[in-house]
Amino acid sequence: MNLRKLILRRSLEILLIFCVILTVLFLLFHLAPGDPVSRMVEPGMTAEDAQMLISQLGLDQPLWLQYLYYIKNFFVGNFGVSFHYGQPVINIIGMRLPNTLLLFTTSVFLSALAGVFWGKIVAWYKGRPVDTAVTILSLVCHTLFLPWIALLFIWIFAYRVGWFPLNGMITPELWIDPSTGFFAKAADIAHHMLLPLLTLFIIHVGEYLLIMRSSMLETLNEDYILTARAKGLSEKRVRNRHAAPNAYLPVVTNVGLSLAFSINGGALTETVFSWPGIGRELIFAVSNNDYPLAMACFLFISLVVLVANLVVDVVYAYLDPRIRY
Amino acid sequence: MKKEPIMNFSAKHPLISLLTILLPLLLTAAATAGAAQTTLRIGISEEPRTLNVWKASDSNSNRVLSLIYQPLYTQDPETLELTPWLAESVPEWNPETNAYTMKLREAKWADGSPVTADDVAFTVRTIKEFKVPKYHSEWEFVEKVKAVDARTVRFFLKEPRATFLTRTLINYVVPEKQWAPLVEKARKQEKPLNALLNTRVEEPLGCGPFVLAQWKKGNYLYLKKNPHFFGQGRTINHRRLGPHMDAVLFKVYGTADVAIMALKKKNIDFLWWSIQPGYIENLEKAQDIRVFVSEKSALYFMGFNVRKAPFSDPALRQATAILIDKDFIISRVLQGYAAPMESIIPNENRFWCAGDLPAWGRGLSRSERIKKAYHHLLKNGYTWKRPPVNDAGEVVSPSRILLPGGEQMEKFTILTPPADYDPNRATCGVMIQEWLNELGIPASARPMSFGALLETVKRKHDFDAFILGYGRLSLDPDYLRSFFHSDNDKAGGWNMSGYHNPDFDRLAEKSIAEMDTKKRRKLIYRMQEMVMKDVPYIPLYNPSAIEAVAADRFTGWVQMVGGIGNIWSICQVKPQ
Repeated sequence: MNLRKLILRRSLEILLIFCVILTVLFLLFHLAPGDPVSRMVEPGMTAEDAQMLISQLGLDQPLWLQYLYYIKNFFVGNFGVSFHYGQPVINIIGMRLPNTLLLFTTSVFLSALAGVFWGKIVAWYKGRPVDTAVTILSLVCHTLFLPWIALLFIWIFAYRVGWFPLNGMITPELWIDPSTGFFAKAADIAHHMLLPLLTLFIIHVGEYLLIMRSSMLETLNEDYILTARAKGLSEKRVRNRHAAPNAYLPVVTNVGLSLAFSINGGALTETVFSWPGIGRELIFAVSNNDYPLAMACFLFISLVVLVANLVVDVVYAYLDPRIRY
Repeated sequence: MKKEPIMNFSAKHPLISLLTILLPLLLTAAATAGAAQTTLRIGISEEPRTLNVWKASDSNSNRVLSLIYQPLYTQDPETLELTPWLAESVPEWNPETNAYTMKLREAKWADGSPVTADDVAFTVRTIKEFKVPKYHSEWEFVEKVKAVDARTVRFFLKEPRATFLTRTLINYVVPEKQWAPLVEKARKQEKPLNALLNTRVEEPLGCGPFVLAQWKKGNYLYLKKNPHFFGQGRTINHRRLGPHMDAVLFKVYGTADVAIMALKKKNIDFLWWSIQPGYIENLEKAQDIRVFVSEKSALYFMGFNVRKAPFSDPALRQATAILIDKDFIISRVLQGYAAPMESIIPNENRFWCAGDLPAWGRGLSRSERIKKAYHHLLKNGYTWKRPPVNDAGEVVSPSRILLPGGEQMEKFTILTPPADYDPNRATCGVMIQEWLNELGIPASARPMSFGALLETVKRKHDFDAFILGYGRLSLDPDYLRSFFHSDNDKAGGWNMSGYHNPDFDRLAEKSIAEMDTKKRRKLIYRMQEMVMKDVPYIPLYNPSAIEAVAADRFTGWVQMVGGIGNIWSICQVKPQ
């Protein structure tokens, strides 16, 4: 099967899976106990007032009718209005998503780059003290509890030493000032990114390092590596030009999927650092039964992951001529 | 094999790297230095959801709105008496026409246009036409509103209503000029109320001390001083009002830990959210941090399903009330930062809270409680194969209690919010479970997600007992009627326990129509006596509001019921 047919077939599969996800999400949220109105009512409101709210939100209609509206609206691009914000869900996601992508895709790329770089080196020095030390360190970092390490970093580097801001994406006092220029604002965002980026980097670099190391060790046993050495090539050349390119492939898959999952934002990271991303909104939406917002967030994540799987498969085939579908 | 260097790093541009770090720091310092002098920086826990005054239900939206919109009347911070705010004086009541007449102060909206009686009339008409859920029940009994002249408003009531002054008139007034076209647009939609509630208001026009200047979604809200604020320089209740700062900046913090660090580092001046008692010692040790512990008008309680056995029997509920050691809960769970409650109305609401109510287990030791509860249940027909108090009068481990009919009591659950939502209530559930078990009453505390808990208790009525709370109760005690009148025992109604008492209903109906405050108070006292005798709810505690400020930045905070985050503080604090 050639690549075009693969893409076509997989696209149809994605559409089918997506429809199943749509239905499952709808049922999950609507059948779960609790309702969005219960958080909005106060002792002064009567039961009739609360019922009015439920009616206005369309939640008093039969479930099958709500489902049909939901499907119809989705396919015409109407993702609904958030119960709590009162704004179109697409606006809320549109506001938060760039913030999440900025932080998490940057962290994925940096972690992957560093992981790949160090992974190939420690694999080369397998069995030596540096290999043992880095492997153990990677495992330790990968198992660190993110909120704990995040708070620790905030306490040390932001609170005690003062190198970084305590939280958020920007410095309000800077942005309020109308004379603040574009570059100052960009630098401010970069400054705020450093600490969450460092935290995410430490948590995730080990993962890529270990994958690269494992893949590299397999590659180093191949015959062509022996041939390259026998030809008299330098160790560095053999490692970087012959072994490493083939060892990259599993990392590519991992990076692709990590990028896809990065759009869910990591609610813990965003909460601890007060980073205004999609992860925090997702947690709030689920906790408060804000069905339109929660469903739209999950649908968006699902779609990106499904498409990312396809892209990774295509890229894999491009990188490795031995892979043919 | 030739040894390769493990790492070959060369920092080619260290100067550029250094500048990348230093430049924003310098810029921040410069900006901060300029802005910090007369800007009150407030830390909040979550971003406000909306600034639509009809819709806002979360506390942070209401905090911001309280600086923008203003009510006709407010409460004096010391006496809690109704104080004219946008209104010039206390409204005059004409019993013959059942009408209240009040006059507005000379006030302006933030754009300089006058606040008029037409704005008040428009606000009320909008609430009534759309039946805005947040306000509708407060205005339902107002038949019509008339703008007599530019500054005089007359409210015609369908019937006498005691809460008109204490609850209705403390709602916000909105400008007709901004809202009339929005209301007209909403009216034409398929779901007008929904359209009104979802109307985006990017620049809410109010007459409060501040006006919204910038809202960077997810990051901050910046409000500038309203030059037309009617209170500026005015003395109300012997308090000379400002505001005395140029701006207010709301900053969002994801966790309490980081917010507390920000306060200690003086990145913010006021932490406007309820701090857990565990942080107090740390804050009090910090330099120039002042902690305020205030009373609240709140109620955290255990409720029963009196519609069905076993808690349809008041004797069992009363025995539970005897067993619950509120002092223990307050000292061990809330670390002393709460007040015990002997009535549904908090003790701090001194005018309305009755004294001399049934004490049940007040002041008793553990064994005294068990003995008292045991004798109480014995008197009411309950038995044990192995009683909790033996013939020698010693407290022992009992067998399961037997109901008056002779059958063993079935195990029942006490529903509580989960520990990650409210650890205090979850822990109370476990403690009460243990205390009941000591008497052979087979209780089991069960945490449940908050939404599911509300649905089970309020809609389905499928429960035995629960622990819930109201963090902000009105100072007017009309909620007694909401909680216990039999008409409110319905799906979604506030009478969650299903209490039916015709005598209580009569008193409640009489109290809402009683315009003489002293007479009304007597009725409210009797209502409390009934409820505390029958105990469909057992009030547990009223937690304190714990807030903290940077003491070296602003001074003049006004403490009142609910904390220092109030309009009086905003209008009176001054930079140091």
